[in-house]
Amino acid sequence: MIHAVKYHPSVELLEQYIEASLAPELSVAIAAHLDLCPHCQRIKMDLEAEAGVALAALPQAQSTETDWQQMLDFITAQPEAAAQQKQRQPFAVQIQNSEILVPASLRPLLKDKLKWLNLGGISTAKLAGEDQHNVSLLYIRKDSEVPQHTHLGVEITLVLKGKIYDESGCYGEGDLLINTADHTHTPRTMSEDCLCLSVLTAPLKFKKGLTRLLNPLQHLFY
Amino acid sequence: MLDSTSVQRHDDGNYQRLSIQGSMSVQPQDNTQWEQALTFIAVDRDKQAYSQLFSYFAPRLKAFGLKMFGNEQQAMEMVQDTMLNVWQKARLFDASRGCASTWIFTIARNVRFDMLRKKQSRKDELSADDLFFDGDYPEQEGTDSNEWDLWLLAEKVAPHFAKLPPAQRDVMEKVYLEEKSHQEVSDELSIPLGTVKSRIRLALDRLREAIDDPRS
Repeated sequence: MIHAVKYHPSVELLEQYIEASLAPELSVAIAAHLDLCPHCQRIKMDLEAEAGVALAALPQAQSTETDWQQMLDFITAQPEAAAQQKQRQPFAVQIQNSEILVPASLRPLLKDKLKWLNLGGISTAKLAGEDQHNVSLLYIRKDSEVPQHTHLGVEITLVLKGKIYDESGCYGEGDLLINTADHTHTPRTMSEDCLCLSVLTAPLKFKKGLTRLLNPLQHLFY
Repeated sequence: MLDSTSVQRHDDGNYQRLSIQGSMSVQPQDNTQWEQALTFIAVDRDKQAYSQLFSYFAPRLKAFGLKMFGNEQQAMEMVQDTMLNVWQKARLFDASRGCASTWIFTIARNVRFDMLRKKQSRKDELSADDLFFDGDYPEQEGTDSNEWDLWLLAEKVAPHFAKLPPAQRDVMEKVYLEEKSHQEVSDELSIPLGTVKSRIRLALDRLREAIDDPRS
């Protein structure tokens, strides 16, 4: 049986993505999911087509004839640009001693050497983001558990390799988990290591006993 | 502003010339005029075709920009950058992938994204070109969307299949179970090709809803 992506972003989220009204860090996760999911690629194209139709149907906003003419003259005086369609191939990165194929949209974020922070069975490397938004890779060794936590904002996890399990199911390559402040969950791995992309819109809040101690550390951790 | 005479005049000029060369057959004022205009811009640097495209889209892009930015100056900056990209990169437009308006929308979206990013003086690597890929994704072995749909049908959807409206179920059975082409189904049922496609779309939507995960 071929693997098929089972957990997708909602159409509403894809809509915000194609309009670029989503936080850029969240868009990274959606873009990487699209690389892995032909189903959502098609929805993206449909949504962009709809947005194009809507654009073409907008009432015209006025400017003076001179303004338009100046802009037109300026533009048509410019030479053709060397434009090349970009390649969109997954590429291999060295992660924790193994070579893993990751989606093309992560390429610009993986130019520099990754700095891994290790904590128990879990390693994390920050890719981008500041303040409230954070993009990182999460490498979870087999038979490991991420301490139970809730989120102050939205957490998007995209499985890049292996499988991860939580209270609501099992997620494989390309699956997108979205957790909001209402969810408490304990993601874990079973018999294989798992690589995920994790995007947080606000710091995590750990819930249980000793792991509360992690809270002050988690700006390092995630 | 675009009026029908200017379209007509244009058709009588370049469009005719190219159709004589056999590269394209053209009916005046058909609904692919902007796609054709982009082709002429790409091939001939055709300023007349560009100026008509500009007259139609620039004021609408401005309306879009005003809505998104809420001010005239940034709206006009977005219009100019977008229309400049259209002029300079018309070669990248691929009519087989969508309409001119779709392509122009995606350019405007990317321009807006990069403008906002610059304004926040973010120096990180997130650029619109990377985040909003415009092109064909590479074929994925064993996971193209037809197979995804087939898998979906086989594994998850079978119990819901029987509940589809009969007209949609008919079309779905012929396409997915008997593996007939859309055209064959259209001939067999004497319905337009577009109806076959829309019934499939509606049926897939229904099935998707039926198995929808509460998460998404």
